[in-house]
Amino acid sequence: MNDHDEDATAEQLPARERQRLQTSRLIQYLLLQALIVAACIFALRQSLPEPPAEYQVTAFRLTESGTERAVTLPYFSPLRHAMNDPPRFAGQFIRPPNDATRAWSVFLPRFTNGVEVTVNGVVILDSRRDPAANRPDRNTAQIAVIPASVLHDGANDVSIRLFIWGPISGFLDRIWVGPDELLRPSYNLRTLIFVTLPVVFSSWQAILAVILGIMWVMRRHEPAYGVLAAAMAVGVGQAFLQTPMGETPFSRLNVILISSAPIESGLVLTFALLFSGWKWQRYGWIIFIPGMLLALAGLFGNQATVRALFLYLAVPMVGVSLLIMAVVTAHSMLKRWNVASLLLGCAVTIMLTCWVVDLLSVFQMMPNRIFTARLSYSVMLVAIGAGLTWRFARALNQVDGFAGRLVTQVREAEEKLKASFVREEERARAAALARERTRLMRDLHDGLGGQLVSIVALSERGNGSAGIGDAARAALKDLRLVIDSMDDIGGDLMLALGSWRERAMAQLRPHDIALDWRAVTAQGLPVHPELRPWHVIQIVRLLDEAVTNAAKHANARRITVRIETLAGADGLDRGCITVEDDGKGFEIAADGAAAGAIKAARGLRNMRSRAARCGAELELNSCAQGTDQGTRVRLTLPHRFPDSDGAAG
Amino acid sequence: MNSLNDEPKVEAITVVLVEDDAPTLWRLQDALTKAGYQVRAAGTLTEARACLAQGAPRVLLTDLQLPDGHGVDLIRETRQRFPDTEIMVISILGDEESVISAITVGATGYLLKDAFPTDIAATVRDLVAGHSPISASIARFIVRRTQNTPEPPPGPVLNTAKLTPREIDILWGIAKGFSYAEIASHLGLSRQTVPGHIKNIYRKLEVHTRGEAVFEAVQQGLIKL
Repeated sequence: MNDHDEDATAEQLPARERQRLQTSRLIQYLLLQALIVAACIFALRQSLPEPPAEYQVTAFRLTESGTERAVTLPYFSPLRHAMNDPPRFAGQFIRPPNDATRAWSVFLPRFTNGVEVTVNGVVILDSRRDPAANRPDRNTAQIAVIPASVLHDGANDVSIRLFIWGPISGFLDRIWVGPDELLRPSYNLRTLIFVTLPVVFSSWQAILAVILGIMWVMRRHEPAYGVLAAAMAVGVGQAFLQTPMGETPFSRLNVILISSAPIESGLVLTFALLFSGWKWQRYGWIIFIPGMLLALAGLFGNQATVRALFLYLAVPMVGVSLLIMAVVTAHSMLKRWNVASLLLGCAVTIMLTCWVVDLLSVFQMMPNRIFTARLSYSVMLVAIGAGLTWRFARALNQVDGFAGRLVTQVREAEEKLKASFVREEERARAAALARERTRLMRDLHDGLGGQLVSIVALSERGNGSAGIGDAARAALKDLRLVIDSMDDIGGDLMLALGSWRERAMAQLRPHDIALDWRAVTAQGLPVHPELRPWHVIQIVRLLDEAVTNAAKHANARRITVRIETLAGADGLDRGCITVEDDGKGFEIAADGAAAGAIKAARGLRNMRSRAARCGAELELNSCAQGTDQGTRVRLTLPHRFPDSDGAAG
Repeated sequence: MNSLNDEPKVEAITVVLVEDDAPTLWRLQDALTKAGYQVRAAGTLTEARACLAQGAPRVLLTDLQLPDGHGVDLIRETRQRFPDTEIMVISILGDEESVISAITVGATGYLLKDAFPTDIAATVRDLVAGHSPISASIARFIVRRTQNTPEPPPGPVLNTAKLTPREIDILWGIAKGFSYAEIASHLGLSRQTVPGHIKNIYRKLEVHTRGEAVFEAVQQGLIKL
């Protein structure tokens, strides 16, 4: 629960202003606490409604340690450690003769620790048989109907034996003997306030223990929840266990649990410290020393020792814890000025007031002996419940606010991202377009440009109309190639070669050269997903060059194009295109260039450069004589086409 | 484009030739006239309509970009008025954009403007003989459209839904440069049946009416109702 949301308004102010704010806060807070203390004292001074005074019996003769004297109730008896020979109060009451028809009762509003009531020599009540009545901190009232046969008109004897077993001195409040119907409302009210209500609060405490336990299990980094859950659990154990009357092994454990108030208050104090932002230190275990001592006493000592120690360890421990908590919560309130601290602070003040009043009562400085500290603990429980709910609601609001902020931020980020994505996309598109334009320009320059220049040259010479036609036709052919290569062929080079075959046939038909098309493997060529238009252009131009050479320079009659897929030694398939003619062939020099015409040499150089750009291998064979006469251009495609036009730059 | 180098048979076959560039028109007209065809030449859409008014020609050869309109309209009209007339597009580059849009209104293939005269005559002769020439690039365009792509490819709308797997196989063969004989042997067909399949392909790619066009667009998800 140690949320460090220091009050923002206080943080922003300059030191002087902040001090003034703190002072004003402190005064406000202290005034409120003073008001609470006053209200508490006022409320505690109010005595509970009592039965009619005419039935009150206060004059008794007390027999104690063999001596007899007259006393008036309420009576404080000194602390005794022996259970035998308890003080005995003997008195009388008058029943009017006309009252015989009504049932009469004896009502004892308050006593410590146990009573045995005898009317006319007949025992009618022994409070020790009621476990709840044995707890001196419970303020349990007792009522007993006097059997009609025991009563008689006129004076009746009533005697009370008061059992005292510590840790506090004995006490017997005034008693009432009268018609049951007149006494019982008062008894019922006391039972409601001092018996039923604590049970209800203990149930609430049990629920809180479970809630806080779950909270701690789910949020291990907030040990305050775990500590408070432990405190609640100890409190529940304390409330539902009875005071042991005999000595059994189980009763020892019982004693430890019943006298666990110092452990409980230590846990609550630890919670308050953690809640106010204190970090657990090693010396923190000091808080639990009184509780541990008491537990050890319960385990190894006898009940009397425990009771004696309880008074000296537990009661001061509770008080000291409350004092520390009051200071800590006041500090926390000043620092944070929030609802949780305020609730806790008020609860602590109420408890502290009740504790002081109880202490006065124990030392017989109060006219009555009603213990309220334990009951006022329920205020603390309510404060804890309210504080938890407040925190939970605030956390939900924060989550809502956070979610809202997050939605806004995500939307903003999304918009930014979208904008940058659009920008990026545009840049990528522009880059792709620029690349494509560059490529297209180079392709058109390589082919169409040269052909148009030669058309111009031919037309200027003015005599070669046939030449102009050829050049223009070549230009158109190249234009078609460029446009064709732009088409998406899905990496299947065969689709590009299909168009090329048509164009080559149209080109060769006037020369009466047959084009023999042989797809040796059924598939043709392997599919290359990485195939790009510029690869296609290079390959098709290379093949064009081979066919044009065969047609123009070799006087070939037949050109054979073989298309096949070769399984390489490395297990990778490679496409292979072979263009073979039956022309006159030429000699190939040592450097791989043709020894013949300059034009043919340049053609071969072009072919090599194109093959290199695509990562393909070019193999040239030419034979001028014999049966093998002709030229063979063998193009082995790479397994994977290169991404960039490396060789050409 | 499987021309046979037979002697051109001279018949009184009427050809309406629509081309706005005069030198190109002369060139094509010369080639056809020399091959014995009776040619009616037109330079504009209006002139072409006047030619068609004289009666049904056997063949219509038309350019697409005309000074007073688009050849596609002329093809559609001719197809509706004279179902028996063979129609072919004259194209500079044989680019798919224009040729496919002409095919969907009833054209059968295209003729390149710079084709050799003998090739021009041979193409028209094959057309009249009932053959439907289809180029590798057009076949390629069609088969690429039969493949499923996440977004509609650019270019003219083409409904390939009616094509049978066999017809698509034939188109693949043509696109990859195989001859009819090679395709027939690969697919286990008779060589003679291949031209018939190609004719069917052309007919199936035709969009006959506006209503059918809308229906097919809906079928292909191009229009959402």
